[in-house]
Amino acid sequence: MNEARILYAMAYRQLKRYFRAKSRLLGTLINPLVFFLFFGMGWSATLRGSMARQLFGGIDYLSFLAPGIVMMAIFTASLVGGISVIWDREFGFLKEVLVAPASRAYAILGRALGDSLTSVLQGLIILIPLYFVAPALKLEGLVPTLVVGFVTALTFNSLGIAIASKMRSPEGFQLIMSLVTLPLIFLSGAFYPIDNLPQYAKVIFYINPLTFAVDSSRYLLTGKSSLNLILDLIVLLSLSLIFLIISIRIFKESTID
Amino acid sequence: MVKKAISVRGLTKRFGDLVAVDGISFDVENGEIFGFLGPNGAGKTTTINILVTIMKPTSGEAFVAGYNVLEDPVKVRERIGVVFQDNTVDRNLTGWENLYIHGLIYGLKGEELRRKIEESLEFAELTKFRDVPVKNYSGGMVRRLEIARALMHKPEVLFLDEPTIGLDPHTRARIWEYIRRLREEGGVTIFMTTHYMDEAEKLCDRVAIIDHGKIVAIGSPDELKSNLGGDILYVKVSDRTISLKEFAEEILEEGTALSYKLLGDTLAFKVRSASKAIPLVFRVADSMNVTIEEIKYAQPSLGDVFLHYTGRELRDEEGDWKEMARMRIAVRRRR
Ligand SMILES: Nc1ncnc2c1ncn2[C@@H]1O[C@H](COP(=O)(O)OP(=O)(O)OP(=O)(O)O)[C@@H](O)[C@H]1O
Ligand SMILES: [Mg+2]
Repeated sequence: MNEARILYAMAYRQLKRYFRAKSRLLGTLINPLVFFLFFGMGWSATLRGSMARQLFGGIDYLSFLAPGIVMMAIFTASLVGGISVIWDREFGFLKEVLVAPASRAYAILGRALGDSLTSVLQGLIILIPLYFVAPALKLEGLVPTLVVGFVTALTFNSLGIAIASKMRSPEGFQLIMSLVTLPLIFLSGAFYPIDNLPQYAKVIFYINPLTFAVDSSRYLLTGKSSLNLILDLIVLLSLSLIFLIISIRIFKESTID
Repeated sequence: MVKKAISVRGLTKRFGDLVAVDGISFDVENGEIFGFLGPNGAGKTTTINILVTIMKPTSGEAFVAGYNVLEDPVKVRERIGVVFQDNTVDRNLTGWENLYIHGLIYGLKGEELRRKIEESLEFAELTKFRDVPVKNYSGGMVRRLEIARALMHKPEVLFLDEPTIGLDPHTRARIWEYIRRLREEGGVTIFMTTHYMDEAEKLCDRVAIIDHGKIVAIGSPDELKSNLGGDILYVKVSDRTISLKEFAEEILEEGTALSYKLLGDTLAFKVRSASKAIPLVFRVADSMNVTIEEIKYAQPSLGDVFLHYTGRELRDEEGDWKEMARMRIAVRRRR
């Protein structure tokens, strides 16, 4: 029972913070929007006609791009949320948790669940307007995409928590963010199909968890994909579990020296 | 045997080569306010961190509320409330939300939780500001909220690490009132640290003076002061042909003073009775052609006790404050 309460308390905290911090909300939306506008508008004007559609499995470029943009928003928000554990340490709140008699595992799990919910909300905020500009998006794909988004968020939120626990000071925050986010986004198949890449290049995409999130959401939203939905889901679920366990392990051992 | 609120034996904490806490031992009785008085870097916070189970000692033993901090940390955590030196509230949340989360974490629920939140807000006199984010609170309001929060789950032992640090005198006095109210209501043992001697003197039943990780003296403020014996006589000299040291030695030789310390251009003599010593000091001064500009005496304060045991002064509050800010930045960097 006490476990459930600290889980709820920490999730509650993340949600409250999310709805209060409008600037963070906008901050993590800017990147996906910029990418959508620059890549989307540019390429969709160039890649018109049925020949071009062939390249993207028979759908228009904007619809091809949209799922990747949604996952990008969820990914960025959840990673930022996880790494921001470092601010909890810097601004002291972490001590309030460490000195409490409650389970640390459930505390960090609650935090991850709360953050993942808000990350999915970010994805939803992006996805809704995309329905108006990307004609091939299917409405029935909405809810399943958000579910996949939630698992994706758990994965990257836990990864963020693990990274933060290894950081000694918040100075590296920005650096880590750009070092991790940009490569993962570019190597995820969000912008072009990975089917025709040479084998050695594909390997790089396959070791990126985001690839599977983009691929599965593209299948759910447009019916097109490069990989297999079931495979995507198995990979994402296992990764989220592994990263969760790692972050809980690391957090449990937190002391302040 | 009735268990002590806190019992510490040979507690030591090293950070690399630095010995932050150096084999200290002490007991805190149930219901008392026990103070750790010491300058920056004395090892106060390190001791608290070990007692509240978030830092492991290098060696030694500590029991809080009857439980070993290393073997039964969860039992200890259930029985303590902590106000850390640096704020630990979530500044983006309101006072109410901070208390709500704390209550949940400590196993309160439903009606009881809501009632406790109201009581805590009232105790902290923050009912009007319940829905204001904490980042808009003043330093004193945050401190009051933190103290009320630490008390919300009815701890047996309350730890306060520098409860009034960085607050203006008015707000400090208000926090003192809260702490006194707690003693009057009874039921909670308070372990607090401070580097303000007036704070230790006004609030604490017993004080341990800590310096460089060692306890140099322990007892009630009155005991500590009367152990020094007599008064302190401050003599400021304006005109002289001999050194202050020679002048002071002469006074010692006359048997007028028991000992002395040099504080800039002022001499501080420990004397049995100031009223008897003053005429004698003037006589010696006359005979040595020394002009006394100012003379005053005081009953010894805890500051004098500190001076007596460590040979150094607990610096004045202003300077201390700045140094502390600097140190905090240095510590941040290192972590
Ligand atoms: N995590 C740490 N790593 C290395 N050294 C540390 C650490 N924490 C404290 N110290 C050092 O240990 C010594 C004691 O520090 P501590 O914080 O206990 O002092 P304090 O009495 O609380 O002082 P203050 O009045 O500044 O709060 C200091 O020299 C400090 O720099
Ligand atoms: Mg301290």
